[in-house]
Amino acid sequence: MLRGLLLVLLLCTLPAGQDGGASRAASSEALRVLVLDDAPPMSYRDASGQLTGFSVEIARALCREIGATCLFDVKALGQAVQTVAEGRADLAAVGIFDKPEQYSKLLLSKPYYRSLSLWLARPDIEPGAAGVLAAVVSGSAQERYARQRGWSVHAVRSAGAVREALTAGTVQAALVPMESALDMQKNRSFRHLGLTPTVYSSAELSGEAMIGISPLRPALREEIDGALDRIKRNGTYDRINSRFLPFRVS
Amino acid sequence: MPPLIAPLKGMHAGRAFGLLAFVFLLAFGVAVVQLALDQQRVIDVTSRLQEQTVPEIIRYQRLARNLEQIRQEGERIFAVSTQAARQQSLFVVTLIASHPSVLEHPESSRLAREAERFLGEVVRQAAGGEARLDAYHAEWQRLAARLDNQIDDVSIQGTNLASTDLKVATSAMNLARYKLMLVLVLVGLFLLAFIILVRRHLIYPLQRIDQALSTLSTEQPAPQFGSSRMLEIQAVEQSIREHHALLIQNDETRQELEQLANKDGLTGLMNRRHFMQVAELELQRAQRYRRPVTVAMADLDAFKKLNDTYGHAAGDLVLRIFADLVHAAMRQSDLVCRYGGEEFAFLFPEVTPEEASRLAERLRASLAGWDIALPDGRAVRVTVSMGLADASECPIEIALKRADDALYEAKRLGRNRVELAPGGRPA
Repeated sequence: MLRGLLLVLLLCTLPAGQDGGASRAASSEALRVLVLDDAPPMSYRDASGQLTGFSVEIARALCREIGATCLFDVKALGQAVQTVAEGRADLAAVGIFDKPEQYSKLLLSKPYYRSLSLWLARPDIEPGAAGVLAAVVSGSAQERYARQRGWSVHAVRSAGAVREALTAGTVQAALVPMESALDMQKNRSFRHLGLTPTVYSSAELSGEAMIGISPLRPALREEIDGALDRIKRNGTYDRINSRFLPFRVS
Repeated sequence: MPPLIAPLKGMHAGRAFGLLAFVFLLAFGVAVVQLALDQQRVIDVTSRLQEQTVPEIIRYQRLARNLEQIRQEGERIFAVSTQAARQQSLFVVTLIASHPSVLEHPESSRLAREAERFLGEVVRQAAGGEARLDAYHAEWQRLAARLDNQIDDVSIQGTNLASTDLKVATSAMNLARYKLMLVLVLVGLFLLAFIILVRRHLIYPLQRIDQALSTLSTEQPAPQFGSSRMLEIQAVEQSIREHHALLIQNDETRQELEQLANKDGLTGLMNRRHFMQVAELELQRAQRYRRPVTVAMADLDAFKKLNDTYGHAAGDLVLRIFADLVHAAMRQSDLVCRYGGEEFAFLFPEVTPEEASRLAERLRASLAGWDIALPDGRAVRVTVSMGLADASECPIEIALKRADDALYEAKRLGRNRVELAPGGRPA
């Protein structure tokens, strides 16, 4: 009887949180969501050309949860952050780990996954060593980290370009997020390089990835955070996680 | 006296019941606030359960899932035949072991690191020949078993997070249940006390007052009440006692006024007006039932001379003594009045003129033989003449007229005698 009473009390407290997003949903206008299309398994185009990946599907789930119509658009990482920071798009599901100073007005959601960075190179190549050129994705936290330390950096547009630079021998090493490294591992040419992954657990390179939100839509952050909590509780998040990544990243 | 009621002595009923209501409201209000606080605790706990504990439980589940993934990748390293596949699995193990979700749980992190190092060594050894893997498999089995245990522990730890919140919620609900029962008992006790007080101090006194009022009369003694504790009841009871005293006083006044209105002030006999009213009724009754009835007129002989000789005071004394003689001689049912001056009228119910004449004669004789002592020491004798008439078949006025005629005849025949009107014989 007491358990039943507790259950009733629990149910009584739930509706306020559960329905809030959906009711607002109906928010009339469509949301413009920026994603990458060259960062598998987080964000890429499938065989039919449709955008998919962990970040894309999480963004879709959030849109469904808040009842909004979302229009996905592709931008490079740096452009995506800038576009949302300037209010020309509503969301950027591009795995933002930190907020560049010039985008201080950018709003960030609760973390939607946690990651770390890998130094990919032969065992005898030290990070920052003279004559070592490291590939990074342009506009990424890894690029900022490497440049702050005066490393020789070769910035490319995407994780795919990093892999190509490695296999082509343009660079001797790469500093990439673990998701990109996971995807590179699937590539035979890359595996033949025999690079050793070294985990970088410094605060700038590991931690929590967030969704960028337009500073013109402050109310949207609360909706996105609530929706994120709900999809983590109702299993949607874990199904997407299992679909694109070999382990839990939250 | 019950201790709860003792302080109410001498207190206005309204204030007493108001005080009780205030105490009740205070106690009930405190209990309701307590219940509300318990309810808030449950709400807080369930909110915490939803907002914090459930995400934390899910986080533990994900950690368990990652540990399970390390175990599976380890099995894969031993199962696959290519070094590339082994390196791929080792890569995943490295990522998981370095992932913040594992690092933030120290025990899991240590075990994951140990598995990573062990599997890294295995992969390196495998590069030199797969036969070497067999030497490591037994140790991997032990490590995998430890991973399994850690997975179970993490799952249980996650589940137990909810237990604490549920215990707090259960405790709050139990407390609320006890308080609710306490409130019910409190309400019951107050209602009981209220009913007892109302019955004892309002209903019972009102019933006594109702009974006293319904039987209140001058024939009954003053009503007696128990000592009521409520001033209002005491006031009503005092008013009833005063009302009863007023009733008696009014009755006495009424009787005095009646006497003044119906009796002759000097002799105490009926006055003429009252006599005529009563005689009329008595005559009607006798005539209705055809019963005998006789009237008489009497006049003191030579009364004017007595007044002139001895003074009016002596005359008044004679009148009073005659009235006393009349009282003594007449039956209780006979009516007599001072008809005017020294003249008197009589009515004898159930008596024929003959029988009445005997009564009249006895009266006449009594007076005639009476020496009346005057205040100055002298004595006088007074006689009376009387005339009687049958009244059984005529109105009172006619009967009295006939009796008066008979009286005149008695005077004419020498006074101090009784004469019967024609139609009746003298005694």
